[in-house]
Amino acid sequence: MNASTARVAVVFGGPSPEHDVSILTGLQAARELAGERRPVEALYWSKTGEWWRVGATLEAADFVEGVPRGAEGLRLVSGGEGAGFVPAGGRLGRPRPLPLDVVVNCCHGGPGEDGTLQGALDLAGMAYTGPGVAAAALGMDKLAFAGMAAAAGLPVLPRVLLRHDTDHVGFDGPYIVKPRFGGSSIGIDVVEDLATARARLGANPHLRRGAVLEPYRPELADLNVAVRAWPSPVLSAVERPLRTTAAAEILGYADKYVGGEGMASAPRQLPAELEAPVAAALRAVALAVVDLVEVRGVARIDFLAAGAELYLNEVNTIPGSLARYLWVEPAVRFIDLLDALVTEAVERPSARHSAAGADGSVLRSAGGIAAKLA
Amino acid sequence: MTGAWGALAPGPVLAAAEAAAAPGGHALRAVVIGAAVAASALAGVRWLRVAQREHYLPDAASRFAVRWWVRVPPNLAGLVVAVAGLVLADRFPAAGFATAAVVALGPVGLSLRGRSAPLAWTRRLRTLGALWALLVAAIVAGTTVGGIGPLAAAATALATPALVDLAGAVLAPVERRLGRPYVRRAEERLRRVRPTVVAITGSYGKTSTKGYVAHLVGGARPVVASPASFNNRAGLARAVNEHLAEGTEVFVAEMGTYGPGEIAELCAWVRPDVGVITAIGPVHLERFGSEDAIVAAKAEILAGVSAAVLVTDDARLARLADECAPEVKVWRVSGRDPGAEVGVVEGPDGLTVHVGGEEIARDVSLEARPGNVAAAVAVALQLGVERAEVARRLGTLPVAPHRLQPGVGPGGVVVLDDTYNANPAGGRAALAALGRLGADAGHRILVTPGMVELGRRQSEENAALAEEAAAVATELVVVGRTNRRALVRGADGTPVVVVRTREQATAWVRSHAGPGDVVLYENDLPDHYP
Repeated sequence: MNASTARVAVVFGGPSPEHDVSILTGLQAARELAGERRPVEALYWSKTGEWWRVGATLEAADFVEGVPRGAEGLRLVSGGEGAGFVPAGGRLGRPRPLPLDVVVNCCHGGPGEDGTLQGALDLAGMAYTGPGVAAAALGMDKLAFAGMAAAAGLPVLPRVLLRHDTDHVGFDGPYIVKPRFGGSSIGIDVVEDLATARARLGANPHLRRGAVLEPYRPELADLNVAVRAWPSPVLSAVERPLRTTAAAEILGYADKYVGGEGMASAPRQLPAELEAPVAAALRAVALAVVDLVEVRGVARIDFLAAGAELYLNEVNTIPGSLARYLWVEPAVRFIDLLDALVTEAVERPSARHSAAGADGSVLRSAGGIAAKLA
Repeated sequence: MTGAWGALAPGPVLAAAEAAAAPGGHALRAVVIGAAVAASALAGVRWLRVAQREHYLPDAASRFAVRWWVRVPPNLAGLVVAVAGLVLADRFPAAGFATAAVVALGPVGLSLRGRSAPLAWTRRLRTLGALWALLVAAIVAGTTVGGIGPLAAAATALATPALVDLAGAVLAPVERRLGRPYVRRAEERLRRVRPTVVAITGSYGKTSTKGYVAHLVGGARPVVASPASFNNRAGLARAVNEHLAEGTEVFVAEMGTYGPGEIAELCAWVRPDVGVITAIGPVHLERFGSEDAIVAAKAEILAGVSAAVLVTDDARLARLADECAPEVKVWRVSGRDPGAEVGVVEGPDGLTVHVGGEEIARDVSLEARPGNVAAAVAVALQLGVERAEVARRLGTLPVAPHRLQPGVGPGGVVVLDDTYNANPAGGRAALAALGRLGADAGHRILVTPGMVELGRRQSEENAALAEEAAAVATELVVVGRTNRRALVRGADGTPVVVVRTREQATAWVRSHAGPGDVVLYENDLPDHYP
């Protein structure tokens, strides 16, 4: 099997605040694969968690009202005989799973990017693109990621857990309050003081699962770079997104995604003009992140920078549009990027479950269970 | 009867009749039947589309058939020909051709597949079409054996709208049954996700109010609102099944009604905690009979709620508020009285919002209707959103698309798009906006086909609309035939331009309006209306 003959399913949507953006990413990938006559299925994961087999050449408008017309229901069965994406319809006989070799994961945020879906696919024995369980979970947890980066000596701004009783942090306001878990900029607030930050905890539904606090430094601007780890680490051009809405204090979700094709049409400087030392530092940090997080597929690493200052902000393990627009230097065609992801999914398994060592010796010498409970 | 016609008929027709009676006449009869069946097929497509556009309501195709065949003069002439053909067909089968031809081509103006609202071959339409075709086949086959084939086939073709409605009536219980699994799933899902349910109804303002509620509450609690047109049983079930994600705390459901009992049936499984009625108006009057019946149907939304939000500017809703059970928290809100529990009043720079007589926000978008904003604020407060948060989010209220959204069209013409509004009160508000925005303009143009589904009041209401327009607008462009007479009558004195289609109206505006002029597009009728 090679990338151009692998039976591929593009998966997108999902019960996530980024459900809609994921549809855009998924439709782009499916369209690109279908255009190159690759065998491709498009699998839509609805906001309510149901799976649907849909046409690979649908438009975004077909999803505006929900599940598109003509969609066919599926179940994701993990584990055992007949695992995989199984048509839900057939009343006669037992339906077989769709014949698939690789799942191209285009989910953003929520359970498609936080390791949940990855776990289900691992248990179903399906190869998939993008992060494995651990990398996905780590990339989605801003607190854990910053802590790990700091421990590895990478430059990060202070980032602490915000609780209802937080009355002291080691740095001064103003602050940025962010959801601890979650992908894009949804739910981010800038606040003047800790009391306001605590008040946001109750008022902002995106902070329900936890929030982190960090210093707000308006002079810092975003820098983004995409990375691939396989077969050997490679970095894309560096992008400097430009803010459109003067009033908005930080690059918001609307700046990134609303108004067309997703990030590919947002205003930006690409490649960004960087001082040589900053460019070198950024490169070194990005390569360190590739190993720390175990990047698989394509990840986007976001930095904050001003002058000679550079901070690692976060890693996006399944970025919008799969960050295809960043591959201008070196130039990579989208189909080649997808082919590389598919090949990697097959050649570099996401999970290696092992039962080595469980050879029965413990069981043989165990004696009765009742005796253990006594 | 046929004898009398035979005696009156001139020689050549008599000859044809004799030919028909002769053995060779079998061929003629067969061709007539074939032509009539072909005409049926064309008519079937037309009237199936009308049934679909009219939500498969009972008698929809027949009501529109009367509109098209009887009220549009050229079609009336065609109808006379078709009926005459029918009368003659028993004696002279060839007369059936006339009926078949009229049915195949007419009514003139009702396009076959539709432009603005094309036919969609959904599962439901295919089922309806199949049953209708079966009816036609049975009638034609049976009557051909019985010897009155040409007459019956022509009659079947002419009666297509009635047969489509008949097939619809037969299928209605089947369709209900087919929808049941979806409703059951939705009910299960609501049980599992356990959102607080806000149900909104009203003759108008539902969709806007729903949007305002979602916006005002959305900053504090995860909200899902039913999408724009999903306001009936099937739509709400779909909204729940496809949009109500885990973790949703508030579900805002819009409920529409075409008749008594429908909202009660929705509430039986959606189980609203908060019921909202925005306004009562004569919309769908022809299906309800009286406005009291409309009030009663809307009031079904309040059964079992723990809180009711009523825009009590309408005396009937004020009465309803008094009748609510004592354990129900009733919010009496107003679009004109600042002293109401929530009162929103229109000022020169925007709406001012009062809660318990105290001002909480000002300069809120003027394009939002005060009563709807008041209702949404009450819902947000009922759901525990803090007053300051409500005030903050009032500043960014979304103005729903097509709901009176001003824009600038080609050539610098200011366009007020109110095409989704279909009620007289909304029309009045839009006219006020036209006057305000166009105060200094050379042209203030109203483009409208008028309002429909107002029963016996339709003519009167449209004349009144035109009369009010005459006081504001410099020109009135009347689209289509449906309300032409009433609108022209009401516009007395103001220049009136009469066009057949929306496209022609737009073209007229393009060639007559310039930069700074304001044009209001009020209501739009799909092309299955004359």
